[in-house]
Amino acid sequence: MDNKSAASGERKLTCQDVSKCFQLLESILDGENLPNSKEVMDEKLAKCAPCFEHYHLEQAIREVLKTKCTKQSTPAELIANIREKIQEIK
Amino acid sequence: MSEVQRKKYSDQEKNNIFDNEFMPHIDSMYNFGYRLTFDEDDAKDLVQDTYLKAYRFINSFEQGTNAKAWLFRILKNSFINDYRKKSKQPAKVDYQDVETYYNSDDVDYGITTDLRVDAVKDMLGDEISNALNSLAVDFRTVIILCDLEGFTYEEMAKILDIPIGTVRSRLHRARNLLKEKLRSYAQNMGYKTDEDEDE
Repeated sequence: MDNKSAASGERKLTCQDVSKCFQLLESILDGENLPNSKEVMDEKLAKCAPCFEHYHLEQAIREVLKTKCTKQSTPAELIANIREKIQEIK
Repeated sequence: MSEVQRKKYSDQEKNNIFDNEFMPHIDSMYNFGYRLTFDEDDAKDLVQDTYLKAYRFINSFEQGTNAKAWLFRILKNSFINDYRKKSKQPAKVDYQDVETYYNSDDVDYGITTDLRVDAVKDMLGDEISNALNSLAVDFRTVIILCDLEGFTYEEMAKILDIPIGTVRSRLHRARNLLKEKLRSYAQNMGYKTDEDEDE
């Protein structure tokens, strides 16, 4: 266990229902609107070390994908080519 | 996103929809095309073909609905039906294989990766991109749609023509594979993993 979970002191070191919990946490991170999701998530993160670890790793993965993935610039001629082709089929 | 013809737009309405609802997504579309093909010319062809199809079938698009999801669905279908057939180098795993072998919704969520949050946050953009690009196309696609483009599970299900449960399980598998890639990068970078610490 790393410092975060050890420092919490009160979190369970094993999760009784990993499948259900991780699926729920992942759905919440993906922005799915689930009933009482905020309350359920807060409780899991406060009481369960595996859930806490999983949530923060999954959150970090999503964040770096969103912010760091290299984006390609759209070639300038693409838009002009599309408009030209559209004129041809009109 | 039904392809049933709903409307009969005038030429001016068609132009308005095309300019105001379709064209604003060109950058996302090009990046999606590029991440599927890894080739600038192929991505351009795929996007151009998608926009031509979108114009041709514009009457089946309901103005004001989710144009981005509609366009992504066309591009994904063009990629499978046209590009993949022409391509001399098909991807390692194709969608059909995935339907057969990986579509079980029964996923083991208990598998964890000994990858640390601080190692992930310190990754360079190129490392993240390379890890994503190394995934088979079906897994890459769900991550692109969800994390890079922000589609909901429901929208992804419609774009990919699969049930929501399959979207969820495929995403979970895709992220696990991505974590494995990132874990090897982290080890190469000299970051300690829990595995190292246990030794």
